[in-house]
Amino acid sequence: MGKLEKACIIDDDPIHQYGMKLLMRKLEFSKEILVFHDGQEAIDSLLDMLHAEATLPMVIFLDLNMPIKDGWGFLDDFVKIPHHNREKVTIYVVSSSINPSDQERAKKYEVVSNYIVKPINENGLRQILRELK
Amino acid sequence: MTINQVLLQKSPIPVAFLDDDLSFVEFSDQWLKQFDQQKSIKGKSFFEAMPELPEELKLDINYCLEGVDHRSDTMRVASRNGDAVWYQWKISSLKTSDNVVNGLILILEDITERKLEEELLIKSQQVARIGGWEVDLVKNTIFWSSITREIHEVPEEYVPNLEEGISFYKEGYSRETISQLVQEGINKGTPWDTELQIVTANGREVWVRAIGEPEMVGDKCVRIIGTFQDIDKQKKAEIEYKKISERLAVATKTAGIGIWEYHIPENDIFWDHNMYLLYGIRESDFKGVYEAWEACVVPEDMDRASQEVKDAIAGKKDFNTTFRVKLPTGEIRWIKAEATVIRDENGNALKMIGVNADVTELKTAQLQLVKSEESLQGAFENSSVGMALVALDGKFIKVNQSLSNSLGYSTEELLQLTFQDITHPDDLEIDLSLLREVIKGKRTTYQIEKRYFDKKGQLVYIFLTVTAVKKINGEISHFISQIVDISSRIEAENKLKGLLQLTTNQNNSLLNFAHIVSHNLRSHAANLSMITGFLLDEEIGPREQKESLGMLDRASSGLNETIAHLNEVVQVKLETEKKLKVISLKQIVDKVLQDVSALVNENQIKVELSVPGQTTIKGVAAYVESVILNLITNAIKYTDPEKQGLVSIKVDEDDKYILMRVSDNGLGIDLDRYGEKMFGMYKTFHRNKDARGIGLFITKNQIESMGGTIEVESKVNLGTTFTVKFLKS
Repeated sequence: MGKLEKACIIDDDPIHQYGMKLLMRKLEFSKEILVFHDGQEAIDSLLDMLHAEATLPMVIFLDLNMPIKDGWGFLDDFVKIPHHNREKVTIYVVSSSINPSDQERAKKYEVVSNYIVKPINENGLRQILRELK
Repeated sequence: MTINQVLLQKSPIPVAFLDDDLSFVEFSDQWLKQFDQQKSIKGKSFFEAMPELPEELKLDINYCLEGVDHRSDTMRVASRNGDAVWYQWKISSLKTSDNVVNGLILILEDITERKLEEELLIKSQQVARIGGWEVDLVKNTIFWSSITREIHEVPEEYVPNLEEGISFYKEGYSRETISQLVQEGINKGTPWDTELQIVTANGREVWVRAIGEPEMVGDKCVRIIGTFQDIDKQKKAEIEYKKISERLAVATKTAGIGIWEYHIPENDIFWDHNMYLLYGIRESDFKGVYEAWEACVVPEDMDRASQEVKDAIAGKKDFNTTFRVKLPTGEIRWIKAEATVIRDENGNALKMIGVNADVTELKTAQLQLVKSEESLQGAFENSSVGMALVALDGKFIKVNQSLSNSLGYSTEELLQLTFQDITHPDDLEIDLSLLREVIKGKRTTYQIEKRYFDKKGQLVYIFLTVTAVKKINGEISHFISQIVDISSRIEAENKLKGLLQLTTNQNNSLLNFAHIVSHNLRSHAANLSMITGFLLDEEIGPREQKESLGMLDRASSGLNETIAHLNEVVQVKLETEKKLKVISLKQIVDKVLQDVSALVNENQIKVELSVPGQTTIKGVAAYVESVILNLITNAIKYTDPEKQGLVSIKVDEDDKYILMRVSDNGLGIDLDRYGEKMFGMYKTFHRNKDARGIGLFITKNQIESMGGTIEVESKVNLGTTFTVKFLKS
């Protein structure tokens, strides 16, 4: 199973960050894993990458409930990035919210591929990897 | 006494026999009686014994003494007391054989009475304008007395003939009638007495009464005598009277007025035709006595009506009453009766004459009116709805108790006011504009909800219905206002709205809470589930296993913390207003500042306090302390490292609340981005290691549970001000 080049986790919960990294490493999900603690940090870094003409992550796991800038704020900023620069990026919302209104709202973003309710497990992550290839 | 003497004495005429010395020789008893004299006058001088006599008599006596055989005359003498006495006398002289006068026979009659009667007759004929006439059919002449001529308005010397006499009668009925009557009189001797019209020589139409008496010799009429009377005035009056009577009869009949007469001593009652119609009985069925009338009156009214008749007869009271009669059909009719009592010269009641009229319709209408007025009055007075009669200028003309009760004014006080005086100014214009539409006739009534002020100045919510009352000429005389006091309804509505708001708020916060619970607990549960998965995963290396155990510990303590927070929130929510106590704000602020003094000193924060010692609020001491602590530590937590930290606490108040403002000059918050989430659970807005996103959430809940509110103003890099409203004590 070939690795993805670059994946990204945006989540303020250190336990979740740890679990995701652990699972991704086990599945050899990607060569590189970027971790951001809130939406602001993430969007700032992604914009820096674009400036440096680096490749954006192929997949982003985005939490919704975060300080400073939450997942929605990040999505609003992300869609402002020119399309040709982000067309290869797939975003998965990963949230502990089972509130249907959150799921519906997430689906309105074209860029969001799926809404995953925490906890994410090994099979789920493997499935995603298959989809991305 | 000789036979002659006896004859003279008993003669039925006043006669006296005088000698040539004019002394009484003999006289009749009648003489003595007439002149009220005694027999002792015999031998006395005539002129001495007699009262004052006309001069002409003295002259005639002298003529006879000088030899004239007879003298007679009729003359008047006015006595000294003013009476006039008429004498008629006849004197014959007595002569000896040698023709020497030796005595006189004097018949002297006092004819004053007869003369007066004659004069009266003439006078009365003149006054009554009765003339005489005579037709001599033998000589074919006609005589008219002067009054007859006067009536015909012909000159004194006018001499008519029979044809001319008849031609004075008015052509047509009068002339035909008189011609026929005269013809019959001549032919058959039939007398006549008729009233006809003539046309006088001057062309005036005059009513006359003509009476004719034919005198027959054998079967031939020789003469007709008669009278001719001007009865124009009487006749015209009579005709007028007849007209009036007829008119009256028509009127009474049309008006249904019956006329009756009650002859009291005889107990006879006479009814006219209308009376029978009124009482619904046939003439033949009415006995014509007082008791028969009584029998018609309904028993309930009989005693009273009967007493009123008695009172009228006794002269105590005029008879003017109303009673009910029962018709044979069983129908009850109201009769109005009036009567006059006719009395003799001694005041004894002879009869009552009166009228009856059927006033059933009027009476029924009256009774209905009284009834409806009574019920209207009753409704007005006793209505639970406020009612008022309002003048065109808005002045209260009449108000009922209910309105007084609603407004707290006495009736007298309200009558001094206009509705404008007590109407809320914001509601006045709509009311007045509707009223103007009524006055202009665009509408007859309107209904609005509006507000009055009662006597104490409290608002009274009312539902008003205004109706115009018009005069007969169509102008509006006044308004009827019906005022339903809906204050209690509005209050209940407001209370309900409040309750609804409270419930909505509670539902919202409950929903919010449920969401928080599910989200926060779920995130811990998800972590726990994930980490347990790693622990069970044999493919995971020992180092990772160990790390996972550490994570498990963090996750479970996180869960524990969250549950503790939630519990805190639940506790706050369970607290009720009932536990609120009066608290000194200053004391608590001081205590909190003491608790955080180390933190303040460490961060070199300047604290400005403006909290009056006497300010008290209603609250739960522990919450107030927690709120203030939270706000102060927040302010310290988010200081701007490049500035001298400043925290100020100021206290202000409005009608209902004590306002506490906690301000800092720290980092501030972008409210455009985070405003909605400020007081949410687990919301943090800074990358501050101490930010847990729970403080403001609990603070807000605590403040709200004490009946207060919290608001925030903030500008990034300038600072933040929280304004807390506590209930005044």
